[in-house]
Amino acid sequence: MTTTRSVEATIRFPYKRSLGPVMGAFMTALTEQRFLGIRSGERVLCPPREWDPDTAADLSADDLVEVGPAGTVESWTWVSSPSAAHPLDHPFAFALIRLDGADTALLHAVDVASPDALSTGMRVAPRWKAERVGHITDVEAFVPGEVPQGGGGAGAEEPVTMMDYDAAITYTTPVTRNEMRAEAANAEGRFLGLECPACARVYLGGRGFCPIDALELGPEHEVELSQRGTITNYTIIEPVQYPGQTETEPFARVHVLLDGSDVILGYQPVVEFPVGDVRIGARVAAVWNDTKVASGGGIELDGWIPTGEPDDTDPNLVNRIC
Amino acid sequence: MSHQPCAIVGIGQTHHKSRRWDVSLGGLVREAARRALDDAEMDWDDIDAVVIGKAPDLFEGVMKPELYLTDALGATGKPMFRVHTAGSVGGTTGIVASHLVETGRHTRVLAVAYQKQSEGNAQFALGSGKGASLGAGGAFAPFMRSYIQRSGAPLDVGPMVAVKDRLNALKNPYAHLKLENISLETVKASPMMWDPVRYLESCPSSDGACAVVFTDEAGGKAAAAAGRQPAWVLASAVRSEPASFPGRDPVRPQGAIDCAAEIYATVGVSNPREQIDCAELYVPFSWYEPMWLEAHGIADEGAGWRMVESGATALDGDFPVNMSGGVLSSNPIGASGLLRFAEAALQVRGMAGEHQVDGAKVAMAQAYGASAQYFAMWIVANSLDPFGS
Ligand SMILES: [Zn+2]
Repeated sequence: MTTTRSVEATIRFPYKRSLGPVMGAFMTALTEQRFLGIRSGERVLCPPREWDPDTAADLSADDLVEVGPAGTVESWTWVSSPSAAHPLDHPFAFALIRLDGADTALLHAVDVASPDALSTGMRVAPRWKAERVGHITDVEAFVPGEVPQGGGGAGAEEPVTMMDYDAAITYTTPVTRNEMRAEAANAEGRFLGLECPACARVYLGGRGFCPIDALELGPEHEVELSQRGTITNYTIIEPVQYPGQTETEPFARVHVLLDGSDVILGYQPVVEFPVGDVRIGARVAAVWNDTKVASGGGIELDGWIPTGEPDDTDPNLVNRIC
Repeated sequence: MSHQPCAIVGIGQTHHKSRRWDVSLGGLVREAARRALDDAEMDWDDIDAVVIGKAPDLFEGVMKPELYLTDALGATGKPMFRVHTAGSVGGTTGIVASHLVETGRHTRVLAVAYQKQSEGNAQFALGSGKGASLGAGGAFAPFMRSYIQRSGAPLDVGPMVAVKDRLNALKNPYAHLKLENISLETVKASPMMWDPVRYLESCPSSDGACAVVFTDEAGGKAAAAAGRQPAWVLASAVRSEPASFPGRDPVRPQGAIDCAAEIYATVGVSNPREQIDCAELYVPFSWYEPMWLEAHGIADEGAGWRMVESGATALDGDFPVNMSGGVLSSNPIGASGLLRFAEAALQVRGMAGEHQVDGAKVAMAQAYGASAQYFAMWIVANSLDPFGS
């Protein structure tokens, strides 16, 4: 499918992690500038786990032992262009560090000026943050040598049981030819439809194919759709408050059957239509928002406004939902 | 039968709660898996492959959880599969695991499904991270309004389902919601969340996991010989359809009709209400019970609500539905489908405790997902030939 541009979007959310008995103890120890490993048979695992990674056997928090604070680099890679999510804002190494007394390696940053300063087998020690919360970033980075750096202050007053994890992902979605043509029509305050040449079903413009016939749809299948319609069904939503929620009051979403077609637009917003008045059969018209035109943007659909025409009283309207 | 028989010999689940902050994510799935292994009298070493299912990654923000949880589930060095079918994923996870045994590829397979809703926010995730999320209730509300209109069902039927499932949950030690004093009045007095569905007609947000151990015919027969009743997977099917197209009926989706028809045909069921003893159906909002009874051919079109109203779907009715308390009582989304499938198996094994249906020999389970467009179903029985054909 032809595309000539993409839209970028970012999703972010403040997730939580419950740490469990072993990782909770490890994080608590970090606030005290200590590292814990866990004994599993002959081995000491650091970072510690609740289970043996090879056999899945249960491991007990009673078998936690202190390791480090210094350790040996077992392998490393150079990060020449750190992103915002990286632990340091200048070039650094990610390294597998086997802390003294441990048999497995911990992944962390090593802060040195250039890759020339790194070698497998080199000795490193942690540089602690002054403020520690029980997070792997309580260690700012490891540095060459045997002696821990930084730190100070007291450990956590209560055991650390939870961790915040602010996740964000930015992704780009290609805009298809059909979507661009539909947007262009919207920018003129029009709705574009696409009629399948096989089954004659009409879809709102932008769709790339008929899902029934698996046929690609294109400009040759375009039809003009009405800007008026009838509400066939609706819901009134009591908004749940979550990070990023934009609604505070109950809001309506309506299904609109466009005049002279089978096209139903689902879950549409309404304009100047109090939630208590929203009903099946109400006649509505598209409301376009042209506030972005002055700044070079297009017209966008704001929602659907009552026209004042008499309601459609067909009792089967409620079933027109797809 | 064109494939080898498959038996369920181990079932485990966590106690489902709003927040299982006492355990890590790995600890949560291990709690269910350990119980399933104990039930099967197996250990991690005995398992050949692991199949894992959960709702989309935005729910907890753990990307590729099948990699993150590999060693927690004893899958180091073993095949590990992730299944994605939105809310129906728990059911599909069980089906994929059963297929691995039925094809003869593996002998003992562990299926695990989970959700830790407290680590994120379902409304956020269902709204693709944007404001004004409809939530599942908002998305399904128009479908339920359509059902109410076309069936002519009395408006009390939805609340009746909500009461029935919550009373069943009081008998299930693992259920999340324990609403001792629930009644039609309290349900009808609860706030309207997604008109026409009220707060107490909606599922909770839960943390929880479910695990099932599948094995081959020899393993199933060995368990039976040792006095541990297996559940035999007699039929399974999945179907999906697009979320919207002109002519789609989301109240009676063709995918649901076809999926049910396939499992009935496989087992030789011509009258599901007579021949099947009980069912666990994915009912996250009250009206979905009569809707699915009809779309799955258990009741005639327009008559599902009469089964609810008459008490036929109660624990002591002639066709009990959601004996466990259902999704309305516990909803760790990704696990919810497998919990339905596991409860059907518990029933035919005679191991459902206080929510056991007397003499249950054949049970059906269903899960659905996304815009009521993904379906997973199976029929399990206490023998390979329950109808004596
Ligand atoms: Zn077509």
